[in-house]
Amino acid sequence: MAKLDLIDIRKTYPKSDLETLKGINISIEPGEFLILVGPSGCGKSTLMNTIAGLEDISSGEIRINDVDVSGLAPKDRDIAMVFQSYALYPNMTVRENMAFGLKIRKTPTTEIDAEIKRVSELLQIDHLLDRKPSQLSGGQQQRVAMGRALARRPKLYLFDEPLSNLDAKLRVEMRTEVKKLHQRLGTTIVYVTHDQIEAMTLADRIAVMKAGEVQQLGSPYEIYNHPTNMFVAGFMGSPSMNFVPITVLENSDAHACTELTGSDGKAQLLALPDKLKTYVGKKLMLGLRPEHISQQLSHHSETDLISAARFNIEILEPTGPETIAQITINDHAVHCRLAPDLSITAGQDLDLMIDVSKASFFDPDSERNILL
Amino acid sequence: MHSSSTSQGENGLGRWLIYGVLALMALVYLLPLFVMLVTSFKTGTDIRTGSLISLPQEWVTDSWQAAWGTACTGVTCDGIKGYFWNSIKMVVPAVLISTFIGAFNGYVISKWRFKGSDLFFSLMLFGCFLPFQLVLLPMAAMLGKLGLANTTTGLVLVHVIYGVAFTTLFFRNYYINVPDELVKAAKLDGAGFFTIFWAILLPISKPIIMVTIIWQFTSIWNDFLFGVVYSGADSQPITVALNNLVNTSTGVKAYNVDMAAAIIAALPTLFVYFVAGKYFVRGLTAGSVKG
Amino acid sequence: MPVTHTNTPAPLASTTPWQDKMQVWLPKLILSPTIVVTLICVYGFVIWTGLLSFTKSRFLPQFDFVGWRQYERLLNNDRWITACENLLIFGGLFIAICLLIGVLLAIFLDQKIQQEGMIRTIYLYPMALSFIVTGTAWKWILNPGLGLENLVHQMGFTDFKFDWLVNSDMAVYTLVIAAVWQSSGFVMALFLAGLRGIDSSIINAAQIDGASKPRIYWSIILPCLRPVFFSAIIILSHLAIKSFDLVTALTSGGPGYSSDLPALFMYSHSFTRGQMGLGAASAIMMLAGILAILVPYLYSELRGKRNA
Repeated sequence: MAKLDLIDIRKTYPKSDLETLKGINISIEPGEFLILVGPSGCGKSTLMNTIAGLEDISSGEIRINDVDVSGLAPKDRDIAMVFQSYALYPNMTVRENMAFGLKIRKTPTTEIDAEIKRVSELLQIDHLLDRKPSQLSGGQQQRVAMGRALARRPKLYLFDEPLSNLDAKLRVEMRTEVKKLHQRLGTTIVYVTHDQIEAMTLADRIAVMKAGEVQQLGSPYEIYNHPTNMFVAGFMGSPSMNFVPITVLENSDAHACTELTGSDGKAQLLALPDKLKTYVGKKLMLGLRPEHISQQLSHHSETDLISAARFNIEILEPTGPETIAQITINDHAVHCRLAPDLSITAGQDLDLMIDVSKASFFDPDSERNILL
Repeated sequence: MHSSSTSQGENGLGRWLIYGVLALMALVYLLPLFVMLVTSFKTGTDIRTGSLISLPQEWVTDSWQAAWGTACTGVTCDGIKGYFWNSIKMVVPAVLISTFIGAFNGYVISKWRFKGSDLFFSLMLFGCFLPFQLVLLPMAAMLGKLGLANTTTGLVLVHVIYGVAFTTLFFRNYYINVPDELVKAAKLDGAGFFTIFWAILLPISKPIIMVTIIWQFTSIWNDFLFGVVYSGADSQPITVALNNLVNTSTGVKAYNVDMAAAIIAALPTLFVYFVAGKYFVRGLTAGSVKG
Repeated sequence: MPVTHTNTPAPLASTTPWQDKMQVWLPKLILSPTIVVTLICVYGFVIWTGLLSFTKSRFLPQFDFVGWRQYERLLNNDRWITACENLLIFGGLFIAICLLIGVLLAIFLDQKIQQEGMIRTIYLYPMALSFIVTGTAWKWILNPGLGLENLVHQMGFTDFKFDWLVNSDMAVYTLVIAAVWQSSGFVMALFLAGLRGIDSSIINAAQIDGASKPRIYWSIILPCLRPVFFSAIIILSHLAIKSFDLVTALTSGGPGYSSDLPALFMYSHSFTRGQMGLGAASAIMMLAGILAILVPYLYSELRGKRNA
């Protein structure tokens, strides 16, 4: 278990004008499971490679247990990595794959054997030890790749999109497996993924990256419910957050409110938090997650910030546990989550509840969350 | 491999035509080999009285013995056996050294790229296309300076220098398809430059080693240009000796001896072709398409 | 969180910074001999040959510069002109016939032929032979007295005349015959590999559209093989330009110098006739020929790759 500090990491590739990493600052506590998430090209894999020492940084410091390792070779950082392609040595058996790092470190044979026994039992691959990687299924290869990382007992584990080559069902299984493993071993893990569900389910903390910068670093709850900007808000969650342009108004009671116009052109008033009174007359971007627009619920009485409104349901997409409906607000398509047993058809009007207490508000120019 | 059923809607006539053309062409390709073989077993009179493709009246191996041991190649009349060994003494070290260097070069160019290594690779590729006539004169001067003119060592050196471009190309193109993550994983496991090569890459390189060795063996064994320019009387490779034997203008032309000698000169590469044809073809296509 | 790591982690192999530095330098160190040798023995030597072509060197290199005189001599040299004309005839026919035979055989072989493996082996074996062996064999077969001509005579066609090998107007065509025999199987293999690489769903789609088989080959498959045509042309023209062994073994450039080729011209002037400066100039002309073919090809290749 080790602590990892990334201090102002910058990286510019030769012959490139753009910085790939623009000053990354993250502190990872011992035993913490940190997930780096972001669209492809955001620099998350580069950041991972610099932590491993596979790529140099242009400036900054990487500290493991308060020791600066930025200048050290990968082998001297005591880090293990699980790769997207597993990168199992094709000419070696599973046993030899796991023993390779230990052998290079001149670990006594008896210790290697004991370690392989421990890890293979932990991952339930002890019956595969004498097979070659080509004789294993994708899921088995994945386990061996993790076993190889575990066998060395490094200070830090790096996972580079380890589950993305598995089919959907196996991915869910292995996700649980990884989580169990982390809970049992309490190791420090940095995990790269572009799958936001993986990020939400596994992480202690998530760092959402875009264009070489950390957009937000926080617990899955914070990231989901209090996104700092529209990018984070839109990236996490599926279907993603709805963004509706609104103008803040003041009603007769001197409360903040706004008008929502449906596809029929009729405007309906929506109460807004009073914190927004300073924005009266200004344009904002209202961020509403699909689950915050739902059908009328009997036990859910109308309060100040939960307003009823009637909209035309344009498209219905039942997924089984829920039904996603599309409506139009202020000329923008908006998804809402409805109960699956609701008997409606597309084209009907429906009374919906909008929970503004959970909504986020963004400045349309800077795209920042104005309430944080 | 392919199903034996005649495919969709092919009429019988068309198929017969295709088979006919293919069989006819096979005969055309085989004919010279057949002519060489039957001629080499004929006596001199048999050649004059028979025809090109007639079987020998009497199968004799005299011309094989003559070609191997007594035929005249220019000034000397000891057959081509000495030159056969010259070729072996030249081919074996040249193939091994150039393959070895090519493997390391390909490893560096594909897995340890550094500033300028890609540029160098392009420069080297151009070397594959260079007609060797462009380097004949300076190389002769250099071999002379090094005291290697007319020696087998000199020939080995020349073949290594101009073969390395190909061997490097082969290994580079093979290793470029080995995932980089394998090397990264090995680095994290603590392996260094040589350990990664010996323990990870070399064990999976068998096919490309075969391709490279066969390519190098065939092209060096079959080389004539370097052989004729840089070899001395006692280091001539077999191709040069064969040409001398055939174009020696003294006495009556002994076509049977010529053919026996030609077959002997061709045997090693033909043997390799029939034993490891798969690798041979792969080398041909890889070496040329990508080059 | 529970901690199950009880025993101490394996100790790191101790390494000094010196060894780490080594890891950075090793790749360069390994490659550097090849870099040096390539720069000297390829690029340096080409420049040296270029310099020689501006001198009046005869049996030994000497550096008395005479400007373009060797090139002027070359262009006024009948034998060189013949060699270049021969190269055009030989190269043009060799490439055209090889492509034609190669494509046809590849298409025929791609029709689910049962003995494909064996037939392919037969078509390709000449490629394993030395051009000297090929030349020797064809010299005997094309021999006017006892060879093919005699064979046809014995079959009853006594008027048949086939003396190309000793006919100075026709000798260059014997080179074409032998070279095509040796290399067309290889071109077939290139095209066969290309055909196998074509996505079969394209062909299925065309069949559903109702296209006939010849039509599919002509308007869909052959255009797909464009890159193979280009590489085959490059390889074959490269073979033709540096063709030296075949002409040496088959005709020795004769009768007279009627079947001479630039590569043979370069060799005999440089090494047997003591005209080193002229030989160097002819080598440079060969380079110009290769570049004229290669540069446009590489340019389009590289541009294509950048755009991809």
